[in-house]
Amino acid sequence: MRLRAALLAGAAALGVAVLGGAAIAQQRTTLNVGMAAQDVGRLDPHFAVTTIDRVAVAWMFNGLVRFKPGSINPAEIEPDLAERWESSPDGRTWTFHLRRGVQFHGGFGEVTAEDVAFSLRKAAQASTSAFSGDFRAFESVDVVDPYTVRIRLRENVPSLLGLVTNYAGGYIVSKRAVEQKGDAFVRAPIGSGPFAFASVTPNQSLELAAHEGYFRGAPQIKRVSYRFIPSDASRDLAFQNRELDVNYGRAQATWLERTRRLPDVTVDVFEPAELSIININTKQAPFDDIRVRRAFAHAINRAELVRWRGEAVAREGQSLVPRGYLGFTADVPLLQHDPDRARALLAEAGHPNGFTVRVVHTQLPEMLAGMQVVQQQLRRVGINLDLQVVEHATFHQQIRQDLSPLVYYGAARFPVADIYLTQFYHGRSIVKTPTAVTNFSHCNMADAEIDAARVETDPQKQLALWAEAQRKLVEAVCGVPLFETLLVFARHNSVDYGYELKGSMSLGPLITEATRFR
Amino acid sequence: MIGFVVRRLMAAAPTLIAVLTLVFVIVRIVPGDPALVILGDQATPEAIAALRARLGLDRPLHEQYFEFLFASLTGDFGTSLVTGRPIVSEVAAVLPHTLDLTGAAMVIGTVVGVPVGIWAALHRNRAIDVAARILSLLGLSFPVFVSGIFLLLLFALHWKIFPVIGNANLADPVDRLHKLVLPAITLGLVMAAYITRVTRSAMLHVLSEDFIRTARAKGVPWRAVVWKHGLRNALIPVVTVVGLYVGILIGNSVLTEIVFNRPGLGKIIVGALNQRDYSMLQGLMVIYCFLIVVVNLITDLTYGLIDPRVKHA
Repeated sequence: MRLRAALLAGAAALGVAVLGGAAIAQQRTTLNVGMAAQDVGRLDPHFAVTTIDRVAVAWMFNGLVRFKPGSINPAEIEPDLAERWESSPDGRTWTFHLRRGVQFHGGFGEVTAEDVAFSLRKAAQASTSAFSGDFRAFESVDVVDPYTVRIRLRENVPSLLGLVTNYAGGYIVSKRAVEQKGDAFVRAPIGSGPFAFASVTPNQSLELAAHEGYFRGAPQIKRVSYRFIPSDASRDLAFQNRELDVNYGRAQATWLERTRRLPDVTVDVFEPAELSIININTKQAPFDDIRVRRAFAHAINRAELVRWRGEAVAREGQSLVPRGYLGFTADVPLLQHDPDRARALLAEAGHPNGFTVRVVHTQLPEMLAGMQVVQQQLRRVGINLDLQVVEHATFHQQIRQDLSPLVYYGAARFPVADIYLTQFYHGRSIVKTPTAVTNFSHCNMADAEIDAARVETDPQKQLALWAEAQRKLVEAVCGVPLFETLLVFARHNSVDYGYELKGSMSLGPLITEATRFR
Repeated sequence: MIGFVVRRLMAAAPTLIAVLTLVFVIVRIVPGDPALVILGDQATPEAIAALRARLGLDRPLHEQYFEFLFASLTGDFGTSLVTGRPIVSEVAAVLPHTLDLTGAAMVIGTVVGVPVGIWAALHRNRAIDVAARILSLLGLSFPVFVSGIFLLLLFALHWKIFPVIGNANLADPVDRLHKLVLPAITLGLVMAAYITRVTRSAMLHVLSEDFIRTARAKGVPWRAVVWKHGLRNALIPVVTVVGLYVGILIGNSVLTEIVFNRPGLGKIIVGALNQRDYSMLQGLMVIYCFLIVVVNLITDLTYGLIDPRVKHA
């Protein structure tokens, strides 16, 4: 009797297992994407600021124009909702002509000039967008006719197309949906992209359904299940077990090597790179002495940092703007690793035995590990970092309160030098001021060049101004560039994105109507 | 009995209000601005101020406090500051997962821990006792993110019996059970280790009491001495520990939830804390506090079932 009961229990367990296994094997029109996150935040694209949110909104929304899938090259921007556009000779008036018949998800009707004007005005307003600062130069957005929109600028901007592309504030939302749904729009958004919001289960997944009426054609993938899996180990195991088709990767050499060894797996390493910089508060002792800042810069060994991070995913920082951005120059007086020179400079500045400085830093593992390598390098010349490790949200608040003389910061921005230079090194962006963004160095010596470059219409002169700004900032050692880290995603070879993934401004692979299972 | 339950629940009210006040104050003392978390690192002070006003975070603290207190007492916990989703629906979506995991872990812990603890006590300092002590020590020493990954490697990757992703479909009992097995074992074994040690210690203490010696001297069979006289008395501290541990389990199951990618209260609490989601944290604390009160009440009621001398009147 007992034996029979045991056998029955065993059979039941096996049945449960087989049923579970079969459920995993059948999904070939559902793309399972694993993401290192606890949950999505706000799905209103104008509030999508985290990587997890940015990746997802790019599948649901369009811009007037778009980066060619797989590329972040502004020169390859192509039509999206707008089929063509023109600008006035002074570059201050832009007219966009919309495609006809493009439909929003969920029966919210055709995309018209009203929706475009509403979206851009919403993106430019501080109360309805996290990217309002990008649209400062917008004077007006006018509806010319149902399929024509005109944008007037107060002043020239380095890349107007960049502002209306499928990135940040450039996404077009349905006016009717925003007005009808109110606050609920952030959790059930309506776009016009290849995939429509279906549902979100807290802590589990975001489910998207194919937008069959998509203007470029019905997507070949019928469902996207965007799974939130914060544990790296569990996510990797799920990917290895084929429960995930696409997996958010770690920009680490060991992870990359291990994942590349898996059968039928491709690891995509792509742009934009995130440039990590140590920003130095030039107004605070002992760093108000240029000799100390130079000593600091000479102590940093970028090659060692790149070896630590992994040469396949990282490269040395060459300026205070990431390489590849429009306006980047490597022709700057970047101080090279020279510990002896660092010690000599410290002695000259009155610190023959070095000094200890208290630094606020985040507990995020990757940033903390990077800072610890820097800490070791600095210790070799006598600069001791007393790291005050705090939780990430606290870190962001405290560095904005100017509580740390050194700020380790990694960021990727729209690939035009103006945005990086303005946010990190323009006087208007100095922390603890009414117009603050992320200028932790308090440097403002390149304001004139940055401002002039922003409105310069001659491309050559514009590049020269940006280069001059970088030279000034590097010479003043406002920050020390460390390394640039590329984005990493893995996929099973059965997944064909439909393009070659070399870059993605949404920080993850774009799932388009052409994405399919092989 | 009903009177006892009502009195206990009434007595819990001041505790609940004290906890709510503490949570309200603590989440606001901790540095970190929810508006900055929501808007990201490129946000201007103007945008941050606008969002703070929109979220009501710029209002005087006492105003926010009384509104929160009144809303909590009427069961309205509002919406998450970060996701904008109603807190009640967020919690309702994950609570069954938490109760499944906690309940299953408690069953495994009790079913394994109590007999092993008794067995070890009855065979004090013999091989079986030494083995139980070593295994329970190992169970307590192994963090769940190690034992969990180990189980996943064996049962998911190697034998393909269970999936790695454990977010079960609640409407499908088979799927729900299938995805509960490994996390419940992982968490249940830790609890079993704990209960084994407590049961062993309680049994050893009771078995050395005079009344046990008297019972044996009167010729009561050993089995009856152990079960009727020994175990009944030893179970009181065990029930206390289980009751306390269930409360801890609800919050501490976060690591198991993360390793097995299960939704749950613990995971939401950590997420809300990281994102400075004040309203979510406050709502979760009310629910968590209520669960603890209920568990403690059940523990008290269980005393009466085990030992009739304990009166609820």
